[in-house]
Amino acid sequence: MSAIHLQNLVKRFGPFTALRTMDLHIADGEFMALLGPSGCGKSTTMNMIAGMEEPSEGQILFGDRDMAGVPMGRRGVGFVFQNYAIFTHMTVRGNLSYGLRMRGAPKSEIDRRVGAVAELLQLTPLLHRKANRLSVNILQRVAIGRSAIMEPAIFLLDEPLSNVDAAFRAVMRTELKHLQREFKQTMVYVTHDQLEAMTMADRIAVMDHGVLQQVGAPLDVYNNPANLFVARFIGAPGMNLLPGRPAESDGGLVIDLGPLGISPPLPEGIAAVLRGSNGEVFYGFRPEQVTRSVDGRGLAMPVSFVERIGARTIVHLGEGERSVKAVFENDAGAVVGETLVLVPDAASVRVFDAGSGRAVMAEG
Amino acid sequence: MPLQPPSLQQSCQMKRSVPFELFRYAAILLALAITLVPILWMVSMAFKPIGEWSATGAELTWWPKEPTLNNFRFIFGESTSNLIVALDRTALKPILSSLLSAVFGTAIAMGAGTAAAYGLSRFGSGQNLPLALIQLRLFPPMAVMIPVMIMWAFLGLIDTWWGLALIYGIVTLPFAFWLMKTFFDDMPREIEEAALVEGCSRWRVFTRITLPMMRAPLASAALFVFILNWSDYLIALLLTTREWVTIPVYMASLSSSMTGQLYGAKAALGLIAAVPPVIMGIAIQRHLVRGLTFGALKQ
Repeated sequence: MSAIHLQNLVKRFGPFTALRTMDLHIADGEFMALLGPSGCGKSTTMNMIAGMEEPSEGQILFGDRDMAGVPMGRRGVGFVFQNYAIFTHMTVRGNLSYGLRMRGAPKSEIDRRVGAVAELLQLTPLLHRKANRLSVNILQRVAIGRSAIMEPAIFLLDEPLSNVDAAFRAVMRTELKHLQREFKQTMVYVTHDQLEAMTMADRIAVMDHGVLQQVGAPLDVYNNPANLFVARFIGAPGMNLLPGRPAESDGGLVIDLGPLGISPPLPEGIAAVLRGSNGEVFYGFRPEQVTRSVDGRGLAMPVSFVERIGARTIVHLGEGERSVKAVFENDAGAVVGETLVLVPDAASVRVFDAGSGRAVMAEG
Repeated sequence: MPLQPPSLQQSCQMKRSVPFELFRYAAILLALAITLVPILWMVSMAFKPIGEWSATGAELTWWPKEPTLNNFRFIFGESTSNLIVALDRTALKPILSSLLSAVFGTAIAMGAGTAAAYGLSRFGSGQNLPLALIQLRLFPPMAVMIPVMIMWAFLGLIDTWWGLALIYGIVTLPFAFWLMKTFFDDMPREIEEAALVEGCSRWRVFTRITLPMMRAPLASAALFVFILNWSDYLIALLLTTREWVTIPVYMASLSSSMTGQLYGAKAALGLIAAVPPVIMGIAIQRHLVRGLTFGALKQ
């Protein structure tokens, strides 16, 4: 069927390099999310897969077919745009059947497939409606249906949910996932919303400044960020990162965090790699994976701000580059000015090399 | 009854003072008078008998005392008054000439202008070209009319409706081009890309997706261009002599040695000349406001 292989892909727009040597292999039937802030090159990558842009260097393969020079109409991809790109002068039926009519499918087949897709996306009562009188939620359904009806082996979605309202977004997240399970297409999904990427994708490719930062399963990317960018970007709020240097202590190797004292002893795996070096590192841990110290040992920091968002409370502590956030269930009862002593869960601690930005990984 | 917050309109009106309101309506009335009074005067005059509009008439009346269709009969060749001699030509052919030259001129300008605007909007290299085109409007058409006359004479296009249509097409091309270019620039490219992904060819995208979606802007641009062509006097005056004079040129010739300017006949002809733009305007009324704002909202 259709795996997608991006090999040494480079895209330059004049002097600006939008994408630097990207290598990404998307398996057949896989749901891959391209995640990153705006301008990171994810849409450019998508446009090159669709054939709207030609790569400056490198290759795009669908299975073992080289796509160089193949026009977008012949690539057999479905594309859903952020702004729907609905043909407003046609009815919903006209939009859904457009691709089939372009390919000269027989009328009976068009009717059958339009009926099936409309049923699936709950568009049946709207088939006769003019597309310019519909809400954005419906428009995006029509756009998805218009692509899905062609049963493309590769389905490309460029931020399809960023214009629809929040409640509908939640519905569509599950529907899209169902849709993909049903048709088993290879799906590439561009988004800047990590929630969408996390909930739907089989794997996430995190990008920044035209560079692929990390590829992995959602939880893997969340738990084991490959570098500082991914650590900060994934998670809401992102990972806490405190500057420091490795130091020996009675309990084992710790990170000397300067004014904040020393960290709890590092897990043995990381300690083994770091031992003997004195380079600057970042001590990282997830805001969700901290507890308040019972014996007074840990990171003592003053509370600077408290955000209560219903089920959770986000407590901001410290200031400047030595600030962290801690997420507690329910009301943490923290007061601004009070000093909290935090202990990061040992299993959640990650250390990053300050020079290269890369995670220090336990060997073996 | 539940309390309702005052609507935006209400709260705005409440802030306005009485003098301001008076001033506002006075300004509106003045603007209406400037635009409507000449038209009313023309309508009134068209139905007046000769005694009421000519200099020989004893008094000036706002509205015809004895409404008559004589002015219309006169311009179509039926002389009803011994005061003026029969015309050597009726208004029929000038009307035909105006229609043909304006319609075909508009077709040329819209056809070439739309194609050029689409090309430059979507594949736009050569960014000086749009500016070069607008240079056609930087000087009055009269500045080049003498060379054009010589060329047209050489090509045998003098005093033909097709010669007029050609020059109208050229003169109004920048308008058609610029209007359409802003419209195309504002149309999201994703819509076309969506059709391309579905396997549509570039040409089919243009004819089946882009143009149908552009109906409103196309209609309003065409109306503008048509009105420009329809109301031209100078070019037609220079490029036609007798056979294919247009309505404005013919209108200027409506005079007699006895009565001077034939205002009644002119008014009747003017009324007829107002019909096509009005019909077009009503026909595309739905598109007009949208078409006018479509491009303007961009900045």
